[in-house]
Amino acid sequence: MPTVQLNNIRKVYDTKVAVEGLTLSIEPGQMFGLLGPNGSGKTSSIRMMIGITVPDSGTVELFNKPFSRNLLERVGYLPEERGLYKKMNVLEQIVFMGQLRGLSATEAEKRGKAWAERLQITEALPKKTEELSKGMQQKIQFITTLIHEPDLIIMDEPFSGLDPVNGALLQDTLLELRNAGKAILFSTHRMDQVEKMCDAIAIIYQGKLVLEGTMREIKQEYPRNRVDVVFEGDDSFLNNPEAEEVNRYGNGVASLKLRGHQPDAQPLLAEAVARGTRITRFEVKEPTLEEIFIERVGGSTNA
Amino acid sequence: MHNIFLIARREYLERVRTKGFMIATILIPLLMGGGIAASILIAKHTKSSSHIVIVSQDLALATDVQNQLDDDTDHNMQLNVIAPPTANTRTTLLRELKAKDIDGYLWITPATVQGQKPSIEYKQGSSADLATRNTVRDALGKVFTRERLMQQGMSSSDVKTLMAPIDMSSSNEQQDDTGANFAGAYVLFFLMYMVIMLYGMNVARSIIEEKTSRVFEVMLATVKPGEMMAGKVIGVGSVGLTQVSIWMLAAVILTATPLMAHLLGGGTHISISAEQVGFFIIYFLLGYLLYSAMAAALGAMTNSEQELQQLNMFLVMPLAACMISLPLVLNAPQNIWSRVLSLVPFFSPLLMYMRISVSPVPWYEIAASIVLMSLAIYAVLWVASRIYRVGILMYGKKPNLPEILRWLKYS
Repeated sequence: MPTVQLNNIRKVYDTKVAVEGLTLSIEPGQMFGLLGPNGSGKTSSIRMMIGITVPDSGTVELFNKPFSRNLLERVGYLPEERGLYKKMNVLEQIVFMGQLRGLSATEAEKRGKAWAERLQITEALPKKTEELSKGMQQKIQFITTLIHEPDLIIMDEPFSGLDPVNGALLQDTLLELRNAGKAILFSTHRMDQVEKMCDAIAIIYQGKLVLEGTMREIKQEYPRNRVDVVFEGDDSFLNNPEAEEVNRYGNGVASLKLRGHQPDAQPLLAEAVARGTRITRFEVKEPTLEEIFIERVGGSTNA
Repeated sequence: MHNIFLIARREYLERVRTKGFMIATILIPLLMGGGIAASILIAKHTKSSSHIVIVSQDLALATDVQNQLDDDTDHNMQLNVIAPPTANTRTTLLRELKAKDIDGYLWITPATVQGQKPSIEYKQGSSADLATRNTVRDALGKVFTRERLMQQGMSSSDVKTLMAPIDMSSSNEQQDDTGANFAGAYVLFFLMYMVIMLYGMNVARSIIEEKTSRVFEVMLATVKPGEMMAGKVIGVGSVGLTQVSIWMLAAVILTATPLMAHLLGGGTHISISAEQVGFFIIYFLLGYLLYSAMAAALGAMTNSEQELQQLNMFLVMPLAACMISLPLVLNAPQNIWSRVLSLVPFFSPLLMYMRISVSPVPWYEIAASIVLMSLAIYAVLWVASRIYRVGILMYGKKPNLPEILRWLKYS
């Protein structure tokens, strides 16, 4: 029973096709990453998911029902452009947002305070929003998104503008929510984060779905053809015929891409040993998401 | 409904708590009170207090003119009579005029032939002192008319009765104090004009503010655009009503106190009848709804205050048209043009209200104006909510007319 199901949705703005034939589904308890370069249609897709705009064709289903506005009570949305009422007191703002989502004022206040403590911003509650730093405002916005305990959490670029400490705090919070069975969708272009956190991803490019699936499925599709090497001494082993591409980073660090569909790194290692090169690290792995992304997106531009 | 209430309450509290609101609420009645007091004080001081010398061969005629001027209570002129003049009277007078010892002189040379008008020479130091000139001319006119009538053989008591000022009373059964009522209507007219303008623009501004701070995107993920617009219009309108209520209360208290009456010299008080207040509230609400819905559409179409400035003529022009046609409605409230204009929904709130205040208006015209306005409000809200829903998500480019028309079709 998917939390979000998009069926072949399409959206055209005046002359530009924003989203074309997009189909994807997100399950409860899944951390879903929506990837794509700037202007590829991530935000447009998200807006259609929560009914800010309506698709020109195709259907949107939330919680296994056709989209309707009252389902939005179970959705928390953090837009890419952060928006808070600047002149409003922070706690009042949290309570206001909570009330709009059907909480009582006292309940919203209680939850708001608990969240503030968890995100270490209790001292900001009595202040006006405009007095806060950007990172703090983002945390407040984060609280207003989660105050009504939504079953579906949608965050557009949640990590942009956060320092590493707060980024990690947010990341841990999201993982906790995921473990509590919430479906979480976030868009980003930071591949390392997606690789670490996401259970499933979709890559869209120029409004079209390029790649979709669980992290495991995607990685399995790609052969383990990447080698990271750290070595001392002679680097001529890198010219081994098994290597299709070599990147030398200097200081005895290099990465290679192996040839063929069933690549074998063994001859490379054997040659290094034979030439007397000291190997301190030799790792064979599947391509990173970033490499897959570049390959897929680059490939589709050529097509 | 609950969401509309929440949004309206937020808008209301945010506005009412600002310093700007408090300052405007306190300052504007003070300024208005000050303005009224100042204009009355100025009116008092425009009464002529010139020093005028009346010169004539004919002592009786000169004193007659002097008495006529003295009887007139609208001025505090100081008068001297020289009769008959000597050879150097004129040079002395001219010298005194130059030295500003006197403000002017009136030289009356009686007619040499019976029945002819006497010749009059009037000189005054300041040619701009129209008040004095007019007072003197009026007095002379009366004196000469009386003279002529007496010469025609009328008895002086007959002449007196004939010349007595006509006591004109313009009261009707409903309005026993027309002047005061009229002043009240006038004050309320401007209040309505100002508040509709001010708070209509506030609605537009608050939409732009939400657009620039991007709050609406979070809001739209929770509430409907229609609810957002309704909440905004109601919230901002309630602020306007609060302010107007405070002002009206202040006006009633101010004009009712004996102190104010004393300050203004009595007789000039503003009375506002219950009927007037009732119609004021009805037309204010309808007018505000109409104009704020238009403003909401303008706000949704634009991205910044500057862009709004370019478009706000759509709000200002109908209101300005009301101001321009105000004299017509005041002078001839039953004129066909007044009646037609006051039925146009965009003018109704101000013009129909003014007509009701200054003259009896048939009930069916009032009903028609209210029905027409309600229809117009419905139509404008329909259009505005569509523009709002689409326009609010548009950044950057300013939409042109064909695009806006396309938005209306989009649903």
